Amino acid sequence: MDGRVTISGLEKVYGQGAERTKAIEDLNFEVDGGEFVSVVGPSGCGKSTLLYLIAGFLDATEGTISVDGDPINGPGTDRGVVFQDYALFPWRTVYENVTYGLEEDGVPKDERQNIAQKYIDMVDLDGFEDKYPKELSGGMKQRVGIARTLAYEPKILLMDEPFGALDQPLRESLQDQLLDIWSDLGKTALFITHDVEEAVYLSERVLIMTRHPGTKKTVAEIDLDRSGSREEIVTSDDFAHFKNDVWKSLHEETQTEVTL
Amino acid sequence: MLPTPVQGVVNTIVDWIPLGIVVLVWELVSGGIVATDVLPAPATVGAEIVGLFVSGEVFSHLFISLFRVGVGLGLSILVGVLLGVGMARSDPVENFFDIFLSMTYPIPKTALVPLAILWLGVGTKTAILIVFLACLLPIVLNANNAAENVDQNLVWAAQMMGTDERSILYKIVFPATIPEIMTGVRQAVPIAFIALVSAELIASNAGMGYLILTSGQIGNYPTMFANIVIISAVAFVAVRAFEEARGRLLVWT
Repeated sequence: MDGRVTISGLEKVYGQGAERTKAIEDLNFEVDGGEFVSVVGPSGCGKSTLLYLIAGFLDATEGTISVDGDPINGPGTDRGVVFQDYALFPWRTVYENVTYGLEEDGVPKDERQNIAQKYIDMVDLDGFEDKYPKELSGGMKQRVGIARTLAYEPKILLMDEPFGALDQPLRESLQDQLLDIWSDLGKTALFITHDVEEAVYLSERVLIMTRHPGTKKTVAEIDLDRSGSREEIVTSDDFAHFKNDVWKSLHEETQTEVTL
Repeated sequence: MLPTPVQGVVNTIVDWIPLGIVVLVWELVSGGIVATDVLPAPATVGAEIVGLFVSGEVFSHLFISLFRVGVGLGLSILVGVLLGVGMARSDPVENFFDIFLSMTYPIPKTALVPLAILWLGVGTKTAILIVFLACLLPIVLNANNAAENVDQNLVWAAQMMGTDERSILYKIVFPATIPEIMTGVRQAVPIAFIALVSAELIASNAGMGYLILTSGQIGNYPTMFANIVIISAVAFVAVRAFEEARGRLLVWT
């Protein structure tokens, strides 16, 4: 399946001279096409930096990132970011936000309309097409953010703590919506979070990163039976077991932080 | 709680009370503490205003003043936005204009009228130049500040959807800075009228400033007061009209 991300020998250094800080060091990792992978790590481990490097917003100091074997060179429409603070264009309505990528791609107007409506419906925002972002709640804004990114059909979804600012019930409903969309559309998903439960619930694999400078500590395979309801999944023994594994591994890293 | 339309009328009346008090005090002082020949009563000035409009002699002056304000302000918006956004996006442009703007900032622009007369002569060009210079800085500063602080995520969001570097400027940076440009223009509108009248008092053969000066010189104080009231009212209406237009344009903020 398309949408494989290969990260090899990745290093990112910010600043120069005495100000020099290494955010990411010698990171090697591969996300398969169509796979859902979460990234967790102590704060300051460079997980957002990693996402922005894959997005092409930042340049790597060393190493390469490839999509389906081709090294990336800046941002591209094969990848789509869902931002933590939504980053909607405030001067555009919901509809105009969702069609932005299609306009840039030169899709004809009536076709844009159909595609936009499909994704607006998918995130349950029909009826809100003509609202401006300021008129929406946080959860609705993020659904617009997701629809905007899905609309131009990138192969890879890069999500930077997209539900971080939302309360628990809303997070859970958006997580389930995201899972439905992901399994329907068959996209590669890379999901940054600091919430272990969220990572385990959503992902097939969880990449746990070390403290500063960030690199791969370990990768947890989350081999869960996902056929049941959310309640059945999160109360299962397997879920508890995977959650404990990831938590312990992450906790070792935060412990080092405290003892230092 | 009163019904909304009634509440609106009450609010409007309350808003105008301070002005009513001023007119009342003016009425009491005129012919009392101060002689009517140097401080004509509000009723006299009111009648004079009506007379000026009925005879039609004020229209040509009002028109020329509005033309000067409009052109001067329009040019300052055009140049101010280009300069402010340009300085934020390009270091050479910023380095070149920064020192120039810092140095000219403290100069009252009306102090340049004599120099402007020397270059452009007495009349419309000088008035426009002074209005332009006086309005330029608030617009440059607001546009520049906004363009420097455009949310990086908005720029990235556009780039990931295929917007190239050059289009970012008018598709993202420009719309993102419009609210602050409007704030700059809002500051510039009253400044424009101040600069206009100042320039016309010194360097003009027409316009409201010229009318104020000449009627004062011949001792026709009711006419002088009438013209001061007219231009003040016009400036007030201009500010309100701009705010109304801004509100409609920026529904998304």
